[in-house]
This record gives sequence, structure tokens and C-alpha cells, in this order.
Amino acid sequence: MGHTTLDKIKALQKNPANIRNLCILAHVDHGKTTLADCLVASNGIISSRLAGKLRYLDSREDEQIRGITMKSSAISLHYASEEKDYLINLIDSPGHVDFSSEVSTAVRLCDGAIIMVDAVEGVCPQTQAVLRQAWLENIRPVLVINKMDRLIMELKFTSQEAYTHLQKILEQVNAVTGSLFTSKVLEERADKEKEKDKEKEKEKEDIDPMGCSGSEQVYDWSAGLEDSDDSQLYFSPDQGNVVFASATDGWGFSIQQFANIYSQKMGIRGEVLRKTLWGDFYLHAKAKKIMKGAHTKGKKPLFVQLVLDNIWSLYDAVVTRRDQDKVEKMMLSLGVKVMARDSRHSDPKVLLSAICGQWLPVSQAVLSMVCEKLPSPLDMTSERIEKLMSVGARRFDSLPTQTQELKTAFMQCSCEDTAPVIVFVSKMITVDAKSLPQNKQRPLTQEEITQRRELARQRHAERQATSQQTGNEEGNAHAGSTAPAVLSQMQALTVAAKPEDEGKQIFVAFARVYSGVVRRGQRVFVLGPKYNPAQGLQGSTSMTGSLPPVPHLACCTLDSLYLLMGRELEDLEEVPPGNVLGIGGLEECVLKSATLSTSPALPPFIPLNFEATPIVRVAIEPKHPSEMPKLVRGMRLLNQADPCAEVLIQETGEHVLVTAGEVHLQRCLDDLRERFAKIKISVSKPIIPFRETVVKPPKVDMVNEDLGKQQKVAVIHQVKESDTLHLDPSGLVTLTTPNRQATVGVRAVPLPEEVPLLLEGSADLIRTLEQAGQAQRDGRFLDMSPRTHDALLGLKSKLEGLLQGRKWRNAVDRIWAFGPRRHGPNILLNSVEGYQRPSVWHCLERDKGEKDGDNAIRDFDNSIVSGFQLATLSGPMCEEPLMGVCFSVERWEMNFPIQRTHLDSVGDEDSNSHDAPASSSESPQRRHEDIGAGVVDCYGPFSGQLIAAVKEACRHAFQAKPQRLMAAMYTCEIMATAEVLGRVYGVLGKREGRVLQEEMKEGTDMFIIKAVLPVAESFGFADEIRKRTSGLASPQLVFSHWEVIGSDPFWVPTTEEEYLHFGEKADSANQALKYMNAVRRRKGLYVEEKIVEHGEKQRTLGKNK
Amino acid sequence: MSIFTPTNQIRLTNVAVVRMKKGGKRFEIACYKNKVISWRSGAEKDLDEVLQTSSVFNNVSKGQVAKKDDLSKAFGTDDLTEICKQILAKGELQVSDKERQSQLETSYRDIATIVAEKCVNPETKRPYTVNLIERAMKDIHYSVKPNKSTKQQALEVIRQLKDSMEIQRAHMRLRLVLPAKDGKRLKEKLKPLIKVMESEDFDDQLEMVCLVDPGCYREMDELIRCETKGKGSLEVLSLKDVEEGDERLE
Repeated sequence: MGHTTLDKIKALQKNPANIRNLCILAHVDHGKTTLADCLVASNGIISSRLAGKLRYLDSREDEQIRGITMKSSAISLHYASEEKDYLINLIDSPGHVDFSSEVSTAVRLCDGAIIMVDAVEGVCPQTQAVLRQAWLENIRPVLVINKMDRLIMELKFTSQEAYTHLQKILEQVNAVTGSLFTSKVLEERADKEKEKDKEKEKEKEDIDPMGCSGSEQVYDWSAGLEDSDDSQLYFSPDQGNVVFASATDGWGFSIQQFANIYSQKMGIRGEVLRKTLWGDFYLHAKAKKIMKGAHTKGKKPLFVQLVLDNIWSLYDAVVTRRDQDKVEKMMLSLGVKVMARDSRHSDPKVLLSAICGQWLPVSQAVLSMVCEKLPSPLDMTSERIEKLMSVGARRFDSLPTQTQELKTAFMQCSCEDTAPVIVFVSKMITVDAKSLPQNKQRPLTQEEITQRRELARQRHAERQATSQQTGNEEGNAHAGSTAPAVLSQMQALTVAAKPEDEGKQIFVAFARVYSGVVRRGQRVFVLGPKYNPAQGLQGSTSMTGSLPPVPHLACCTLDSLYLLMGRELEDLEEVPPGNVLGIGGLEECVLKSATLSTSPALPPFIPLNFEATPIVRVAIEPKHPSEMPKLVRGMRLLNQADPCAEVLIQETGEHVLVTAGEVHLQRCLDDLRERFAKIKISVSKPIIPFRETVVKPPKVDMVNEDLGKQQKVAVIHQVKESDTLHLDPSGLVTLTTPNRQATVGVRAVPLPEEVPLLLEGSADLIRTLEQAGQAQRDGRFLDMSPRTHDALLGLKSKLEGLLQGRKWRNAVDRIWAFGPRRHGPNILLNSVEGYQRPSVWHCLERDKGEKDGDNAIRDFDNSIVSGFQLATLSGPMCEEPLMGVCFSVERWEMNFPIQRTHLDSVGDEDSNSHDAPASSSESPQRRHEDIGAGVVDCYGPFSGQLIAAVKEACRHAFQAKPQRLMAAMYTCEIMATAEVLGRVYGVLGKREGRVLQEEMKEGTDMFIIKAVLPVAESFGFADEIRKRTSGLASPQLVFSHWEVIGSDPFWVPTTEEEYLHFGEKADSANQALKYMNAVRRRKGLYVEEKIVEHGEKQRTLGKNK
Repeated sequence: MSIFTPTNQIRLTNVAVVRMKKGGKRFEIACYKNKVISWRSGAEKDLDEVLQTSSVFNNVSKGQVAKKDDLSKAFGTDDLTEICKQILAKGELQVSDKERQSQLETSYRDIATIVAEKCVNPETKRPYTVNLIERAMKDIHYSVKPNKSTKQQALEVIRQLKDSMEIQRAHMRLRLVLPAKDGKRLKEKLKPLIKVMESEDFDDQLEMVCLVDPGCYREMDELIRCETKGKGSLEVLSLKDVEEGDERLE
């Protein structure tokens, strides 16, 4: 078959009835790209000799190196059957789990799918996944059983064995489809119970896309299954939707082909053969009749006798025995001519594929099946359209009428100018700017060459003329003659300018036209995923006007249209409906996917259904810090180009990349390095956050022995007393400032578990409360809406509900502040006797708060709060924020010098300032020590001293209690089949995960496991679980909560049993210590570890020996 | 007097000597290398892991053991273990290679952590990670000075890093309240210190919310207190002006 020209394809595009949009789906390594190669070769784009080796559609370098496809790519092919010409828009998709998002983007654009199954491996996890995806998108599948040659050459099956094996595979595939079908029927039944009879009619259609069964209504589930005709769903060779093939050897056939051959040869009607060639039939040689029951009678089934045996003997003759005579005889009978070069080739495979390629070409078999069995864009089922158009939970009926009318546009797929343009962009692909057709060097046509020659000749003539002219008349002729010279110079310049954008990445949208004709330069609406057509219809929107003020609606121009030809793009002027195309110039307005239309009535299509959610998180940094902006830009581009990757900047400043799996991660990193950012980057584990807290003293020790009363002392071992610091055995810490003017006593108390949760949840509320309080202190009023006011009162009462018991009496009213950052999950409590200060809730009561109490002490109120904020921001364990700790200030004494001395000593400072104590504190009292220092205290300003003192007191009070680390936890939902359940548990257990619940999903054999897992252990978790379960379980991790780690990081064995159990050092079991030390080491804090474990075991030789 | 011959000489290798002068005499003990610091910090609790031998010397390298009389005169006890502990705690020592290395490493990290805490990327108002700062420090060939405090050095590093990358001290958000009569005058004086003025409100008194470099805080505090004679006030709204929450790049 010759090379199909662009014009031919353009002509074919205009007839939607003869267009087939299809994708190839299969498990990884089942031969998708090889088959695509064969189909591409049939169009003469590549040599058929190279088909299967070239992997034409794997255009990326890493795809070629790794040998797996990583992106879906499209190519348009021409297929001529006996009577009609067809245009096949073929999309090859990756099979690896990590790239299942690419499969989703491919499936959305297609009407049909070729499902491939390896004849040896049978149905694999991804086969199930792609079948499910095809099912969910309502596209019709056909089956190709590939790698038949492996049955012959590797497994050495006899043809009879192969037949039974193939039957088994078909059963497996049909079982998957069947289970999808049943679960859907069951689901619908559940739906139906809620909705009423009205829906039943429609549902009937859903169950049965072919519309075969009548209007009979479905009442109960058994009837539902029986009534709904599922025969069309299943794959069966006699239905014509199965092809047996070996893409590497280039052959493939369907039952029809053989039926045609034999009906001529044996004089049996083709119809009959088609029905009996697959199945339990045999040929009764004497009666010349086809009989049923081959299996029971021990006869060869027809399929074996007529089909497989022939292929087996061919392989036997060509490859195994290399019998030249026999081969020639066979070739003669098959009517095949092979070039001498092939038949003499030392590798028998070459001869084989040469014979098979002519006898049973795989492209012929597959393409004819595709054209016959898969629907054209015209046959799109109405239910699929409705599904596409009903976003979220909205039903199609509830959409505006104009929108519903658009459905007919879909159905007609008309290419009239009046028809609204509907385009769906499923992903953005990046293309090197230089490979765009505009910038590409192309061979010149004959006419162009003559034209250019003509031009050159003219120019030459002109130049000669001018040189002659200039000789005699220089003046006015000069101007006219230079003009062409300037022009040619400009031409040269424009040519020179082009290579500049070499290496730049251009985004091309991977899209399909559903209705209307798309033209270059057309203006269309871009509908965001949240766009509501009702809003768009209300506002008068016009294409030409400035951006309409409708949310999620934008307007853009289609700069250029391309025909996607694998690695290459061809320029197009217009694209009729039903075609797959590339659109340039959308990178500004389309992020990953979008719906484009000329009609604002169109709702955006439902979002792509991704099988895999991104779970592998890594932090990315540039090798050179100055290249940060480049990295950010690169990550933005990556995000746009990859349907599944996510990038984000965290509060810690980390740039995090989230990908679907390890292979996907590698690809994203390669892309970042070589295409988008073009800088060196380094990848690391993301930083794991922790929280610090205190708990109630434990009742039992590490070996579950009762502790009794003696252990309190052990807890407090951390705190060393000094002259300014005093520790009371009940945990009250009193600290005096260095200048001995103030003493604070602080006690740390653990808050009940629910309180920090509540406080975290209402951080915003507390922030407003804080602002209001601030305003009130300044004598202003911050207007608070009644709703926030009520919400705050609600929060207060909830807190009161949680803080009950003797210890917490009136605690809520005594809350001084929250922290850190004034709205965190820790509480500062005012338990100072005789110190009255308005609580945080004060501003809720609208009466004017007059400042009572002693003013001197009130002025330092803020220092106490600041000290508390600092203490809660970074705890003593590893400088991580605190959580769920209540610091109750129980003592606060100030012994100021009398005002008089102050007046004497600092004459220049005004005494009537309300700030007097602050300045006064800076001097007297200690004057005998720092003589002459006068104004400034050697310990710095007093407010600063107080802040430091409170901070230290809080830290010591914290340390006086049993301290614990809190780890961030992920909840993880794992879907797994029964066989791999045990291994899932194994991985979870190894990573300190805990299973919360496990239940079976109705109607399937999948289990859903809910577990929690520390974030610290999650790096590589997804990958490990996938590997261990051979891809059958896929986890989804979502941050859920903070959890206290049970073990004490400072624990050392004390009792005899503990020594016995853990040994003297006891460093094996302590997870908390491990985490704490890791964080301390990362931050450069002191880690209590010996530099050298055993002193005498060091290298003992001197330097010279 | 013992006679030294190669045969009866016990070579002490792997020695770190800790010296102390007390009562006019020099006392030395022989310890294992890389162990003394661990002992002082409390990480090592076993004395035998630190001491090569519990005898106290006048000179370790010559093997001269200290006399009992001198010991009891200087320390007031003749319990050798007790004396060793005293010398370990207070004597001067050679810092061994690994000890020095880990010290430098720790302070290098510490400096990087302080820098990362104090600084932001001025474009995004987000902090840099510690790793990145460490790498940047390596790029400018910063070497840690063991006798300067890490905080001091961190400030020095920030100054040097500014040449090679986009980095800036995170600003402090302050609220200034100035009495009306001083407002105008003082504002002129404060102007060079203020980086960004966020809001300004002038009715009966001048109220300003602004971002300043944390280095100027003291200066401002001083200025306001002196100029307004304590009538003006200065309040820290936030220590660090950084973006909060995660941001999705799109």
C-alpha cells in the first residue's frame, strides 16, 4: 500500500461515517505499540520489515530505551476495504500502571478500543483496569489475542492444546466484562430503589446499549440480570469481535477470513462456517457435514482442524524444520510470492513474516474488524453524550433546554457551518518548536523550485541592470533598485530569526471535535470545569466582545490546527467533526484539559476518570540555588503537560512533586531536567512534620508492669535546677528573671484529646477573635458579623463541654491566649491568684472593658503572651511546634523598685509616661552591680527578659511532664483482591501502619482496607505495596490527623524486667527516639549520641605506622 | 627511677590527653580519642570507655605518674577515680578529629537552619529549605568559625548569600502608634528604616502598620521611645512575614 497523502486524509476527514476513532489498550508489554507499528506500516509510513522493531509511536528517547510506552500518541491512518475508504484515528496508549492517566486521556477521545491480551499471560491486572476504563467511558471494545507465536514456539503447544488455552483466555476476559456488567446492574438497582418508575425506561437503555430488548420493565435484580441482554458485550470469535494475531510476526486473522477462504474451497456456505468455525463443532468427513459435540466425541474441533493446524504446520516447516521444499509447496498453495532475499535469509523469522505478511496480514484483519464492529462518530450513543454532559451529580434533565438541544448536534456530528463547535481537549502535549510544521524544512515541490529559480534569475537580472544603470545615471534610479535588495535582506533576516526559538517547548492540545467544523483562527469559548451553562446563557455573551463576566468562561483563538501523525504534525486549515486533532496556541487558557465550544450553552464535560491518583511525593530543589525561578517555571510547564502530575509549594518552602508512581516520577524528572527547566535538580524525601506534646504519666512500664508511685522522679530527670529556676515535684516550674524583678510559675498540663482537634479546626475563628480582642484593647470596636459571633460562642461552649472535671473548673473563662501564632492548638491559662484580666472571650461581651487591676503588672501582660507564643512555636524535644498542651501560669510576682528612686536616677526620662514601669525596670535596684551603666540594665530591656523567662519556664514545665512526639498520619484506602490481602497486611505492618477496617466491595472480589500510616513511613510505601502485590492493590494516601507516638523518646530501662527485655541500651524499640534524633540531626541540634561507640576499638596506630 | 628500654615500654596509642594545672603542678590523664566531649556532654556514661587507665600522670607521653602526695595536696583526696572525673570535667583538652568534625558539621547545620528560619525568597515570600541553604553556603565556600556563635555567623552568611541568590531577611510586621504632635517629625526619621508601609492612619494619633527588617527593630524601638518620651508605642504584629499554607502551582 502506498503512502497516503495529506490530501487524501483531509478528504476522508469530511465523511464522519467512515471515521473510526480508536485506541489500543492492554497490560504492559502485551504488544500495543507493536500492533500500532504493523498498522502504521500498512500505510507505508514505515517499512513493514521494521514493524514491531521500530516502535514508531514511542517517540521519546526514554521510551525507546526502556521499551515501554509512556504517553498516548495519535496517528491518522487510511484503510481501504473492498468498497469503502476509511480513516482510522489510532491512539496508542501506555500499559504501565503509572501512566494510566494517559489511558484515560486516550479513552475519552475514542469511540472504540482494541483490547489486547497476551495469549500466554492471559488477563493481567492492567487488562482489567483498561476494560473497566473502557466500560466507564462507554466505548465499545474489540479483542485482539496477541502473541500466538509464543504458544507455538515457547510453550510448544499442540494445536488442540492451544485451542483450549485460547478458550480459557476468552472466558477470563468475558468474566471481567461480565462482572463489570453485573456490578453496574446492581448499582443501578440500588439507584432505582431510590428513584421511581419514571427512570426505569431510561435505565433499560443503559443496561443494554444496543437497544435490543424491548420495553419490558425491570423489577428485581434477578430479572434485571436475565432481561438485560448482555450477549453483545462479550467477546466471541463468531461474533467477529476477536482477532488472533502475532504482531511481531505480522500475521493475524479473524474467523471471517478463514470462513471466506474455506467456503470457496469446500463449498460450505460462508454463513454456516462463520458460526461453526469457533466452538464445539467438527467436520464429519464422510457425511461432509458439520456436527456438534467435538469435545465429547474426541474429534478435532473445526477451528483446530481448519485454522490452527495450518498455522502450526507453517511454523513447523519454516522455523522448526526449515524444510525448503515444503515451504515452497505451501507458498504455492497459499498463492504467496516471497522475494529471494527473504527466503535465503539466515533467520527463519524473516521468511516467516514475509509469508504471513502476505497470507494473513495483521493490519488487514484488525482494521477490517475495527471498521465493521466499532461505531463511527455518528453512532455515538445518546446515553454516552448525556453522561459526558452531566457534570457532578446533576442529571441531564436538569440542564437548561438550550443545553439539551446540543445533544442533537452531537448525534448528527454535522459539518455545516451552523452547527455549534464542540471540542474536548484531553491533555496538553509538548512539542519541540522546531518540529512544528511551520518551522520545518520540507522538500520543495517542482513548482516552487521553478518559482524560486525564476525569482533568483530576476534578481540577478535586476542587479546587473542596476550596476549598469548606476554606471550612467546614479540619482533617482537608485532608490527603486535598492528596494528588492532590502526585501531580500529582510527575508534573510526572518529566516535567521527562526532558529532562535529552537529548543523551546510548544504546547499542543490533544483534542477531538465532536460537532461543527473547527477552523484555524476561530474564536471559541473555553469552559472551565466549574462552568455552569445556566450562568453563561443569562449573560449576553458574544465571541467578539471582551471577556464576558461569567465565571469559569474564557475566550480564545485557535491559532493553528494540526493533524497528529505520531511524531509529526501536519498543518490543517479546518477539521470536520469526529476527528482527533492537535490545537496550538491554547497554553494560555487551557491547563490540562478543557471543553471548547462556540456555544455558551454547552456544559463542560465530566472530568477525566483517573484510575491512579498521584501518591509518590518528593521534594525538588535546584542544584544551584540561584536557579529557583527556572525550576518554578519548569514545574508549571510540567504540571500543564502531564495529566496526572501535581506540583505544589509547601509552607516550608519545599517544592513538592506528586506523581503516580516511581516510573512516572522518573519520567517527570527527566522532563524537568531536559525539557522544561533545563537545570540540574536534586530530589529528596519531603520533610516530615512532627508535633510535641505532653501526656498523663503512664501507669505501666514498657513491659506492662505496674509502675506504682516511684516513677515521678524519673520523669523530671531532664530539668536541672539552678538559683533562678525552681522545680516542684508536682511539675510547677518557677523561674526568676536574671535581674530578679519578676518571678513566674508555670505548669504544663495535657489537654484532652479532642481539644486540639477542635482548636485546629477553628483556627480562622480564633484569629478573628484575636483581632477583635486586639482592637478592643486599643479602644476600638471591630465589627463582627452576628454569624461569627454565634460561631465563637458555639466554640466557647464546645470547649466548656470538653474541658470538664475539677481540674478544669472555669478554665475556659480563664483562657489567656492560644498559641503558636495566636491561633494554635495550645492554651495559656491564667491561674494567677488575684490577677484579674479579661479573657480572650472578653470582646464577645459588648460592654466596654475598663482596665482594672494593677496597671503596672498589666503592661507586661503582652510579654507573657509573647513568651508563650515562642515556647509553643518550637518545643524542647526537636524544635517542632507544640500541640495539645495547656500552660497554666500559677505565679506571677513583680518586685519593682519604688517610683521615687527611678525619678532620681533617670532624670531625662519622663515619669508621667504610662510606660513608666518599663523604663524604670531598666535601672535602679541593680545599680550597685553595674555602676555607671545607669539607664541600661546589663540584661537588656525588661520586657525582653520577661519574654525569655516565660519561654524558658514553659519549656521547663513541658520537660517536667512525660513528653511525647506526635506524628502526622495518613489514612490510606487500599483496594486489593483476596489473594494479595496477606501481603498488603505485611507491608502495612512493616511500616507501622494500623488497619482500621476491612470490608468486601459488593459485587466484586475486591476488598477495601482502611488503614492509618505515619507520614514518616510513607516514602516509597505506594511503590512497595504495588510491587509486593504485583500491581493488584493501589493505595490512596490522604493526610488525616496527628497521633501521639506511644513510646517515650527519653525512656531508659529502669526495672529488672525492662533490662531483661530491652537490654541495657534499649535502642531497638524506641521509634520516637529515632524520629526525634533524625529531626534534631537535620536541624543541626545537639543529638545525644556518642561520636565513637567503643573507645579502644578505634584505629590505634599512629600516623606514620 | 624506672629505666626506659624498648622492651618494657608500654606504648599508649590512640591517646587524648586532658591536662589540668592545680596547686602549681601539672596533672594529666590519658583518655581515648573522641570520647572526652561525649563524656562532658553526658552522652557517654561509662568512665572506663573514656579513660585508658585510671592513673593520673604528671606527663602522659613520658609515662610519669603523679605522686600521691601531690595529688592529695592538690585535690584534697587520693581517690583516683574522683580526681580523674574532676580533671575530665575541668581540664583543658585536645579536640580530636572526629569531635572537631562533628562539631563543625553541627554548627554548619545550625547556621543553615537559622538562615532558613530567618529568610525568605523575596519573590514568593516563602522560606528556603535548609538543604538548599546548605548547598548555597557550600557554593560560596563559607567556612565555619568554631569560636563565633552560630547566630552571629548566620547573619554573616545571609549577607554573603545575597550576592549569589535571591534571599532576604523575612520582614517583621510592626504597628507604630505615635502621638499626633510628634508624628510628622518622627515619620521622616523612621522612613529609612521602613521597608513597606502597609497602612497609615492619621486622626488623633498616627498609626502605622509596616514591614521592617528585623535588624532595625532595636533602633526603631529606641528612636520611638526617646523621641516621643514614651508616648509612642511599638507592637510586633508578626515576627516573620511569610506566606502560609500550601500553594498549588498552576
